[in-house]
Amino acid sequence: MTTHEWFIEHRTAFVARTLEPDEERSFHEHLAGCAECRAELERIERELAWLPMGAAPVRPRPGLTRALVDGAIGTRRRSPGWLIPAGLAAALLIAVGSWSWARRTVELARADFDQQRTRLLQELAMVRDTLGIIRTADKVRHASITMGERHGGLVIFADDRTHRWNVVVYGLPAPEPGEVCQFWFITGTGMVKSVEVKTDGGGPAFLTLPMPATGGTVMGAALTMEPAGSTTDTPQGTELAHLMM
Amino acid sequence: MTESGAPAASGGGSTPAGRGSAERVLTLEREASLQERLLARDERALVELVELVTPWLLGVAQGMLSDRDEAEEVVQEAFTIVWRRADLFDRESGRLVPWLLRITRNRAIDRLRARRRRSLKTTCFETHAAGEAGWTQAIEPNEAALPGWQVHETVHSALRELPEDQLLVVRLAYFEGLTHSEIAGRLGIPLGTVKTRLRLAFDKLRGRLASIRDWVT
Repeated sequence: MTTHEWFIEHRTAFVARTLEPDEERSFHEHLAGCAECRAELERIERELAWLPMGAAPVRPRPGLTRALVDGAIGTRRRSPGWLIPAGLAAALLIAVGSWSWARRTVELARADFDQQRTRLLQELAMVRDTLGIIRTADKVRHASITMGERHGGLVIFADDRTHRWNVVVYGLPAPEPGEVCQFWFITGTGMVKSVEVKTDGGGPAFLTLPMPATGGTVMGAALTMEPAGSTTDTPQGTELAHLMM
Repeated sequence: MTESGAPAASGGGSTPAGRGSAERVLTLEREASLQERLLARDERALVELVELVTPWLLGVAQGMLSDRDEAEEVVQEAFTIVWRRADLFDRESGRLVPWLLRITRNRAIDRLRARRRRSLKTTCFETHAAGEAGWTQAIEPNEAALPGWQVHETVHSALRELPEDQLLVVRLAYFEGLTHSEIAGRLGIPLGTVKTRLRLAFDKLRGRLASIRDWVT
């Protein structure tokens, strides 16, 4: 079993959090560089989203609902005056309150930090992933595109090991109103619709695409200008570029 | 999807009390409205959400931690995150209630593992062993009136269709938070057997629960 196969086999275990702590850490590190596993984990999470509802419900203690709301919002109930102790007791309460506030603040900061760290790791992983495909591409193909006075192009970096392409579309103007720029795979059984390419005449558009699940062997790609909202599975509009691998 | 949008092939038991009762279900629209109001810092939205899902969150946390106070702390943490960071919730990739369930479950597992690191493992396991019935049936007699009861029944039905050996490892892994090796040690079976049973069980559950993936609670 290869390393990646191990991760594939343990995706559900990762979602269910049944891996050992060191395996879980390895999985987190792997995810930073594997878009395929990240996508699959999202799918598994959706499929098992309601599984926790298998646990028997527990009726809250009286007053808990209000306490949970107050706790989340951070409000404190006013203590009756006769309960407020003087001197040392007050100081003690303040100390305890400060400690509690500090702990909650730290917990919230930790939650924020964790979320930001996860996002940064994911962004870093996407960048690494993109560069990885470019660096190890088995084939690189280019086609020039001319639209009026604009000269742009389509570049495909094909990575046969991960069966993914990095696609760069550059120099194209934004589509006319009612049109979209559509990317197609040319397969052994015909054209397979892929994604819309956002071109705005500014910077290049970058795409990382897995091979289509249908249509057989991928032999090339095409870029067309299609009517917006078109639901047909075959190109209807103007072909901008056509590349065979 | 409708408010009473029960999937035809849900396999859930009949729960008349939970069907077609608009005030007791969470539609996609209501969920979206709740999230928008949470983002707008509407405290009534938080009250509504807390009243709606607290029994289920407590069930998840208490099933793992076997400690009511600690379970309430975990649920408090989950609601605090939702209130303070509702912006983190991505409506495109998930639903609000499953997101809350996931936060609660993850927090409970974190606490459980921290507790085990503090060498309270044995006590915890013994407590769980004594309370095995808790996860399978309602504690209160009229739980069927709870919002979400239909989902609970459908999930349960899917679980009950698993072979007994697979159901046992799912219970220990998913509802009590044990890792592969802890389950192997607990049941006295090889680690590979635990992994195989869990994989088979989760594959079946993923298929069976697909029907309620976008269901209302």
